[in-house]
Amino acid sequence: MERNQANLLQGTLDLLILKAIGDGEFHGLGIARRVEQITGGTFTVRPGSLFPALHRMEEAGWLKSFWGESENNRRAKYYQRTKAGEHQLGVETEQWTTISRAIGRALKTT
Amino acid sequence: MWSHMRSTLRNLLHTQKVESDLDDEIASYVATATDEKIAAGLAPEEARRRVLAECGGTEHVKQAVRNGRAGALAESLLQDIRFGVRQLRRNPAFAWTAIITLALGIGATTAIFSAVYALLLRPLPYPGSDRLMLIYQHTKYDAMSSLIGQDFVAAQSTLRSFESVAGYTNNGDQNLTGAGAPMRVLVIGVTANFFPTLRVPPALGRFFLSGEDGKDGPAVVILSHRLWQSRLNSDPAIIGRTITLAGKAQTVVGVLPAHFIFPDSAAEPDLYVPAGIDADASLGTTNVSISLVQTIARLRDGATLPQAQADLKLFADTRVKGYAPFFVNWAEGRQILAQPLQRYLAGDDREPLLILLACVAVVLLIAYANVANLQLARSVTREPEMVLRGALGADRLRLIRQSLVENLTLSAIASVLGLAIAAAVTWLIHHSSMPGQLSSGSPVADLLQAPFGKLSAAVEVNGWVLAFTAGLALLTTILFGLAPAIGSSRSDLSTTLQGAARGVSSGRQQRRLRSVLLVSEIGLAVMLLTGAGLLIRSFTHVLQNDTGFDPRQCLTARMQRNLSEELEKTRAFAHQLLPQVQVLPGVKVAAIGSALPLEDNGWNRTLAFGDRSPLPVGQRPGAYIISISPEYFAVTGTRLLQGRTFTYQDNAAAVSVAIVNQAFAHKYLNGDALGKQFRININGQFIPNTAVGIVQDVRYDGLETDVRPVIYLPFDQAPYREVNILLRTSVEPASLTAAMRKAAINIDPTQPLFDVATMESRLSQSLAQRRLIMLLIVSFASLAMVLAGIGVYGVFTYWVSQRRKEMAIRLALGASRPELLRLTVSQAMPLILAGGVIGIAGGWFLNHLLASMLVAVKVHDPVSLSLAWALMTLIALVGSCVPARSAARTNVISVLHSE
Repeated sequence: MERNQANLLQGTLDLLILKAIGDGEFHGLGIARRVEQITGGTFTVRPGSLFPALHRMEEAGWLKSFWGESENNRRAKYYQRTKAGEHQLGVETEQWTTISRAIGRALKTT
Repeated sequence: MWSHMRSTLRNLLHTQKVESDLDDEIASYVATATDEKIAAGLAPEEARRRVLAECGGTEHVKQAVRNGRAGALAESLLQDIRFGVRQLRRNPAFAWTAIITLALGIGATTAIFSAVYALLLRPLPYPGSDRLMLIYQHTKYDAMSSLIGQDFVAAQSTLRSFESVAGYTNNGDQNLTGAGAPMRVLVIGVTANFFPTLRVPPALGRFFLSGEDGKDGPAVVILSHRLWQSRLNSDPAIIGRTITLAGKAQTVVGVLPAHFIFPDSAAEPDLYVPAGIDADASLGTTNVSISLVQTIARLRDGATLPQAQADLKLFADTRVKGYAPFFVNWAEGRQILAQPLQRYLAGDDREPLLILLACVAVVLLIAYANVANLQLARSVTREPEMVLRGALGADRLRLIRQSLVENLTLSAIASVLGLAIAAAVTWLIHHSSMPGQLSSGSPVADLLQAPFGKLSAAVEVNGWVLAFTAGLALLTTILFGLAPAIGSSRSDLSTTLQGAARGVSSGRQQRRLRSVLLVSEIGLAVMLLTGAGLLIRSFTHVLQNDTGFDPRQCLTARMQRNLSEELEKTRAFAHQLLPQVQVLPGVKVAAIGSALPLEDNGWNRTLAFGDRSPLPVGQRPGAYIISISPEYFAVTGTRLLQGRTFTYQDNAAAVSVAIVNQAFAHKYLNGDALGKQFRININGQFIPNTAVGIVQDVRYDGLETDVRPVIYLPFDQAPYREVNILLRTSVEPASLTAAMRKAAINIDPTQPLFDVATMESRLSQSLAQRRLIMLLIVSFASLAMVLAGIGVYGVFTYWVSQRRKEMAIRLALGASRPELLRLTVSQAMPLILAGGVIGIAGGWFLNHLLASMLVAVKVHDPVSLSLAWALMTLIALVGSCVPARSAARTNVISVLHSE
């Protein structure tokens, strides 16, 4: 099941990326696959939004990158979460939880 | 925050590295994703296609990343500017033509309009200056800018629509003596309310009190700031001290502020005395003395100019009732009127400046048309490029912005250059009139000085004008430069690309627009050229006018004895002076005369002929009286036509004799003047005289006006207080200046010598304004012509480039090369001819503007019109022939191969 990217809240993508990277190192495609995996296939991240997000988050200091060899011996750019990124994940998780709880409650009331 | 700043810097400084990293990253992504799909069992080609389709194009992804980057806006702007400069450098001919064209247009217009603003439009430097009016009168005899003293006094107490009516009288030059070398100063008599009416406060002391400006008032003076500074060393204790003016001690009561400008640019008074106007307003008898008062009045709050005019009409009608019959006759049909002071003051300089302004505006129009044309031609060649870039995924807004930035860069460079040009010209005007400078040493500055006069110090680059012209330039470049970018966002990809490949020419609409622009350029240029032609022809006519004197090796200086001096003493002074200057080494002949050629400073007297009693006032014939020593004509080099010149036997004891000029002989005595008698009105007495000689006409009033009748009298019989020196020298005339000054001072240490100049420099100065305006208009016209030529060249270069294939096919099918040349020129010819026709028609109607500046040439001068047309046609043909020749040289094989 695919969802339109436009429906994905801006903060959500950052949150998913930060979560997907975890403590590992991934290149762009790897991150996309990982997001797909951890959301059970609900979200497919397209390169058109993935790469701008990665670059933006790197500039914000949440991610850092380095060049390395990929599984099939290609040069690829790898991303890692920084301390700031970890902190940001905490902040965003909290925000998300608050929002989703609030929305959930709102939807339950009749 | 810090990380963001670092990223911004990195993005801006290491663009290339950042970009190649991005390329690698995306490429690696595509490759890895393709590998995945291949592994899943897709064919390699199909796998890659799908990956790209998912991305929506790699260019698209990259652009999205770039847009999200820190400092994205600044970076892409920098990029656009770099790109713009690169585009401009790729086509330097276009870039420089456009930049220089615009810069010249902006610079010239800004400079000339700044001058126009400073001299004509800017409010006068007095508070509430728009309420200041000049009161003047039109009589059946002439237009007078002043009132008769008695009328002025009546006006002061009668006119209700003015809160104050002030006046001044020109007391002429007077000698100022005392500390330092004696000097000649311009003295103006003012009423007590003069400065208060202008609302100018004194810098020191006070102005005249209301009792002081009457007849036989106290001997008090107010100093100009300039005189106070230069002559009295800015002495702060000057108030109450005395100075010696025309031999009389006068007490200084006040000093004017530094920025004060007298409300007449022609006069720059050094000091002011009370006007001394008789309080008796009656003109009931003819036995009164008449003085003329220049009248400046301030409108009462709430009063309008029409109300004031009505008030003045009533005043004029009422005044006549008390007039003696003589004045009733004089005032018949008289109108007393008011006009804004500013209008009056702008008067003389107004017309040449407006003409210059019109010309410069035409040049500007041509410049804009040219740039528009160049941009249009370029935009069409660049349209395929734009469409292609759009197709490759470049953002449309970005394309438009790029085009915008490119044109902004162009306009910015042009505006800076234009400002530099305007500043340079204004600097010249400004420095042409530094006080106390006879000549600034720069010929260009000297040239500019004449038309802008004493107010030129007030000329400065006007920011608003610059902003306006530069803004227009910007608008032109952008409007016509954006066409391709906007067009491309509408263009259909395939048709445009196909069209470009086939070399299909531009749209019909654009072609028509370009033709219209070109035709108007040529038309405007022809108009300017006819104007320039008219002025050149007038100038040569003026130069051909016989001056009546030989300007070479001749030094002249002016001297004026105090008016209070007895004539006997003046005669004695002259008798002492002449031998002293005659013996100076290098002097061939020395003479004195009451007037110098080209320096209109003689006296007008009325005459009576035969034994009849004189005609009534206003109908009497007149002549210009000049009193000379016998050597005068030997110095000026004026030819004696009949009779004899004066000798020292023609003294006070001998019978009165005169020499007349040709104009006098022709006007009054049918050319046969020798031995004829006439009587000259000297202070009401008609003194008989006999003409003993006729001389060639000498131009006293400049080279352009008709020569007036002149009577020369022997100095010994009719001494005048103007004792001007004229020397014919065997050495360089200016080198005698110091010796001549010393000789005069030796005889009378209180006698200033002023306005020392060679006759050659007087001649050149008298032509300065005409020469400058001619030169400016000729250069504007040449500029216009060259610009129009460039316009033709640009349009047809483009036209030919669009038809290379057609040309090659024609050649291949057997057309000869001259035929191709003809083909191109035949395309240009209708446009050039149409432009010529419009130009001639425009010139026919608009050259009336120049009428006042023409001498011996008609406004519809066929020579100027046809020459201008021929010249422009020639230049335009050359402009179209250059690309035509390159068309004729088309290489069939290479062109057909390239298609």
